[in-house]
Amino acid sequence: MSPEKDPAQRVAIGISFGNSYSSIAFTTGEGKAEVIANEDGDRQIPSILSYVEGEELHGGQAKAQLVRNATNTVAYFRDFLGKEFKSIDPSPCHQSAHPVQHDSTVAFNIRDTPEEKENAVTVADITTRHLKRLRISASDYLGKHVNSAVITVPTNFSDAQKDALNKAAKAAGIEVLQFISEPVAAVLAYDARPDAKQADKIVVVADLGGTRSDVAVIASRGGIYTVLATIHDYEVSGFQLDQVLMDHFSKEFMKKHKTGGDPRENDRSLAKLKLECEAVKKALSIGSSANFSVESLAGGLDFTATINRSRYELLASKHFAAFARLVTHAVEKAQLDPLDISEVILAGGNSHTPKTASAVQNAFPESTKVLAPSTSTTAINPNELSVRGAAIQASLIQEFELEDIEQSTHPMVTVTPHLSHAVGVLCISGDESTGVFHAIVDAETPLPVRRTALIATPREGGDVLIKLCEGARHIKVTKPEPKAKQAKDDSDDDSDDESDDEEELREKTWKVGKVLSEAALRGLKKGAKVEVQINIGADLNVNCIFREVGGKGGVRGLLSGPKSQQNGSA
Amino acid sequence: MASVQVSLPLPVLPEGWAGEKDFKAIGHLSHATDRNIEPVGPHFLAHARRKRHKRTFSEDDR
Ligand SMILES: Nc1ncnc2c1ncn2[C@@H]1O[C@H](COP(=O)(O)OP(=O)(O)OP(=O)(O)O)[C@@H](O)[C@H]1O
Ligand SMILES: [Mg+2]
Repeated sequence: MSPEKDPAQRVAIGISFGNSYSSIAFTTGEGKAEVIANEDGDRQIPSILSYVEGEELHGGQAKAQLVRNATNTVAYFRDFLGKEFKSIDPSPCHQSAHPVQHDSTVAFNIRDTPEEKENAVTVADITTRHLKRLRISASDYLGKHVNSAVITVPTNFSDAQKDALNKAAKAAGIEVLQFISEPVAAVLAYDARPDAKQADKIVVVADLGGTRSDVAVIASRGGIYTVLATIHDYEVSGFQLDQVLMDHFSKEFMKKHKTGGDPRENDRSLAKLKLECEAVKKALSIGSSANFSVESLAGGLDFTATINRSRYELLASKHFAAFARLVTHAVEKAQLDPLDISEVILAGGNSHTPKTASAVQNAFPESTKVLAPSTSTTAINPNELSVRGAAIQASLIQEFELEDIEQSTHPMVTVTPHLSHAVGVLCISGDESTGVFHAIVDAETPLPVRRTALIATPREGGDVLIKLCEGARHIKVTKPEPKAKQAKDDSDDDSDDESDDEEELREKTWKVGKVLSEAALRGLKKGAKVEVQINIGADLNVNCIFREVGGKGGVRGLLSGPKSQQNGSA
Repeated sequence: MASVQVSLPLPVLPEGWAGEKDFKAIGHLSHATDRNIEPVGPHFLAHARRKRHKRTFSEDDR
């Protein structure tokens, strides 16, 4: 057995491989994920390779070559993997080596050897070289030969893309134990924290990357994750935010130096401008102002300037708004309401920008927690979410045979019936019109499931009714009372009448649906609590136990599933 | 999973309510929706184990 196939000899890491940056992480003996810095000290390693007289530069060093050696520098290539040339969008590569058609795949014509001639290097080979550098960095850091990994991919990465990535990784000496999706890795990174409490919740992962943004709505039920909806957008991106700053500083430069020309119109000036603007953008995530400084920006003229954060936020406001809109669209696509969302996890580098987080927070009610550096002191670095999740998953499965992993990830295991309605009890009254529904198992919970609830009883104890029902979440909208006109001053004109602008009150409530069963518990003590345990099988049979906490006996109930079991649509 | 805590009280049993062994089955659950769960995280692994070995929660607890 080859070392990487023998679980005992595996050294597995997590890899996040983005178009803009990649990261590597491992899980310590104590089960904590740690992100590895490469030999340049970078934890966010630009996914870029550059060739100078045959020497291969990688990461930050390769990125610096975008100014002088752009045509031999390959960047923003991840999304080309496993695709035909005609289906790719080459625009992120305008300022680096251009992708070209090569047989049925995509390649870059670069001088990657000391010789003068250009070679067509396929995107698969570029990926292999990149992954190899990551593997070497991780091996050097760990002092062990890394030979396997869990790699994160977007939720819309096709099988052909995964296939191509798998082969490229293998050629780089990395056995891919599993591909996991980026947003799910982010949720896992949060859930794996030692103080994390497991709860049933709907989480949105909103990822604002360099070349794209991706949003996923995920039901998290007892630590099991189901993706309910996703949205991908290639217009809303970190590039656009950089562009705002590039336009701003170009205009400032031209105002100051009438003869220097437009730095956006010369390749080298543009490359310098872009690198500096990305750095300015990052500085504005922490500071309230940042300096722009480029030697010989254009026409041989140096340029320095400052910008404050509020100016930047104003200039880029439509992009932040567009991102927030994307997030709410994803919620709509999942047929949910913002009130249904417990948390928004902000991922991707641009989530460091405070305005990204506040724009998203404004699109959600206060009850929704936005997890980003500027809104939560306990937020995990948004750049590191994917790779941390990957490293945790790697530690969970690295001792399994590949065959076992494949079997467990097969649709036979993963395709699972999910509850279409919440199941719970009626409180206060047994009458469906006056009783208050309280959910015990939420909708979108995968089956089988077992849940327990502890329920209060009437003050005097005695005999109680436990009525099990289905419940449908309902958003109750209350229009504000029109303000009573002030009597003493009739001369007020309409401008004072603000009742139209006042926000309506929106609340999450329940509508009682189908009644499933009734049970009685008798002679409860004063102050007793009732424990209800509900077991729902994949066949929708329900098995429940009702008992007084600390009391003897109890009542059991069985319900059979619906008669003609049909599968709903996923 | 921690228990769900419900602080609103259960209703008083109506006068004359009767059921065999104090239980009355009334309806069935609505049909379920098939969806793909993500093969990620410790709780999924437990789910996969139960499914592949056809074990129940309580057998799994033992
Ligand atoms: N501290 C920061 N403040 C603001 N923006 C940042 C910060 N760090 C990184 N970014 C931006 O985040 C983007 C990169 O995000 P990320 O590392 O998530 O990339 P990625 O997944 O490789 O992106 P993609 O695949 O979309 O190109 C870049 O636009 C970068 O400028
Ligand atoms: Mg990304």
